[in-house]
Amino acid sequence: MSLAYSGGGGGGGGGGGGGGGSGVRPWPSTASVSSSGKRIQKEMMELNADPPSDCSAGPKGDNLYHWISTIIGPPGSPYEGGIFFLDITFPGDYPFKPPKVVFKTRIYHCNVDSNGNVSVDILKDGWSPALTISKVLLAIKSMFTNPDPYNPLMSNIACLYETDRAKHDQIAAEFTMRFAR
Amino acid sequence: MEEESLESSYHPSFQCCVCLDLLFKPVVLACGHMSCFWCVHKAMHVFRASHCAICRQPYIHFPSICQLLHLLVSKMEPVAYKRREKEVLEEESRRDVFSPQFNSLASESDQSEEVGLPNKGSLDISKEDVLCALCQDLLYRPTVLNCGHVFCESCLATIGSEALKCHVCQSMHPGEFPKICLDLDHVLEEQFPNEYATRRERLKQLEKVMLPCGGPSSSVSRNHISKDGHLWLDENLPKANVGVGCDSCGMYPIIGKRYKCKDCKEAIGFDLCESCYNTSSKLPGRFNQQHKPDHQFELDDSHMLYKILLLKSISMEEPYQDLYEDHVSVDETVDSNENIDSNNHTENGNS
Repeated sequence: MSLAYSGGGGGGGGGGGGGGGSGVRPWPSTASVSSSGKRIQKEMMELNADPPSDCSAGPKGDNLYHWISTIIGPPGSPYEGGIFFLDITFPGDYPFKPPKVVFKTRIYHCNVDSNGNVSVDILKDGWSPALTISKVLLAIKSMFTNPDPYNPLMSNIACLYETDRAKHDQIAAEFTMRFAR
Repeated sequence: MEEESLESSYHPSFQCCVCLDLLFKPVVLACGHMSCFWCVHKAMHVFRASHCAICRQPYIHFPSICQLLHLLVSKMEPVAYKRREKEVLEEESRRDVFSPQFNSLASESDQSEEVGLPNKGSLDISKEDVLCALCQDLLYRPTVLNCGHVFCESCLATIGSEALKCHVCQSMHPGEFPKICLDLDHVLEEQFPNEYATRRERLKQLEKVMLPCGGPSSSVSRNHISKDGHLWLDENLPKANVGVGCDSCGMYPIIGKRYKCKDCKEAIGFDLCESCYNTSSKLPGRFNQQHKPDHQFELDDSHMLYKILLLKSISMEEPYQDLYEDHVSVDETVDSNENIDSNNHTENGNS
C-alpha cells in the first residue's frame, strides 16, 4: 500500500451537507459531503447541545470551515469582564490537521502575539484528531488563568509576568477594559 | 435526514473518536483504542511513528480491521451501520480507493432483511459472536492483535512468551503486548452481565492458584517497548519509505527494504516489508488489492526519505547532511510535504 494522504476528499471550501438534527440551520447540500465537513457539523451539533461554560462558537456565515467564537474572560483573572472574539479556520483535511485560531480582540497575554496568533501546544505539535473545538476553547480558557511564560510569543510580557506580576495584571486588566468590552 | 431521525443514538462505545460517527470497519491499536479503518489510516504519519489519537502511544503498524467488532457493530446498530456503509463506499469511489470487503457480513445482512428485520433497531448479539478463539468461551478482558483477531487477555498471556503469534491466522504480532480494548470490554459486560461475572470469578480463582504475584500480562508487556518506541524509528528515519506501508504486517511507513508488486493494477499498489517478503505469509492486500501468489516483486527505493531529501538538496545545491539535520529537528506532526517545503523556504531564505 502506498497512499499519501491527500486532502479531505475534496474538502475545503464551503462544502456543507444535509444539516440534520434539531436547531441547526440546514446547509445547502452538495452531492458529495466531505468527511471534514461532516465532522465539523457533528462538532457544531455537539456544541449547540452542550456548550462549554463562558464560550460560544459557530460558523461565521455560510462557510462551514470558518467559525467565530467568543470567550468570556474568567473571573479572578485580569481578563475578567472582557469578551474575546476568536476566528477559527478549519483546514480541508480537518481533523487530521489542527484548526487555526486567531484572536480578533486585542489582548495583553504572553502567549498571544500582536496579530492575535495563539501559541497553544494542542494547536501545533500536540494536536490529535480526537480533539474537538470545545476542547480547544477550554485550553484557551485555561490559558487566561494560567499563562505559560516559558513558551512565550511576547517575551516582554512573559518577562513582566515573571518579575512583576502585579504590574502585568494591571496592564492586562487595562487592555481588557479598553479593547474587550 | 430521514435516516438520521430513524437512527436512535448509537452505543457511545461505538463512536469513532476521529470522525465522531459510528465506527465503520473498526481498527484496534495496540493501546486498545479504536477508530475507523480510514480514520486510522488518514491519521497515520507518512514517514515517522504515528500516535494514538486518544493516548498518544506511538505505533508504526496499521492493524487489520477487527472483524469481530465489525460484526458486533453491524448487528447492534444496523441502521446507522447501513448509512455509514453507503457513505464510506461513496467516499471510496470518489477517492478511487478500496477497503477490505467482508463477504460473510454482506450475506448475513441480506438474510436479516429476508427474515423481515430491516431497520428495526438492534439485533440481539449472541455469545457465539464474541468468543475467544483460544478458550472458546465468552471474551473476557478482550485484547486485539495486529491481525485484528481478538482473544482474552489471560489466554494471550499463556501463549505469548517472546514473540506473540496469532492462533487463528498465524501472523506475528509486532511490538509490545496489546492492551485491553476497554470499549469492547464495556459492551461485553453490558450485554452479558451474568456470563461476564462468572468469567471474572473463575479467573480470579485461577489466578490465585496459578499466578500468586502480579497480573497475567505484566511480565510480558515490558519486553518489547524499547525495541518499538519512537526513538527506534528516529534512528531509522532515512530508511523510511515515505507514505508506503507493508500490506502484510501493516508497517507504515516501511522501514528498510520495500518490495513492490509488479503485477497489481490498483493505484494503491501492493508492497511488502523485508521480513514479510522473506516469510511466505502473503495475505490479501489491506485495501482489497487483488494480489495473487504468482505476482512478481521488485525492490523499490524511490520513496526512501534519504533519496527524496538527496534529490531536493541536489536541486538546491545544498549539502544533504544539513537538510537531514533540519528534518530531524522539525516538528513531527507536520506533513512530510509541507515539511520539505518549509525547509525549502528556510534554505532559500538563508542563502
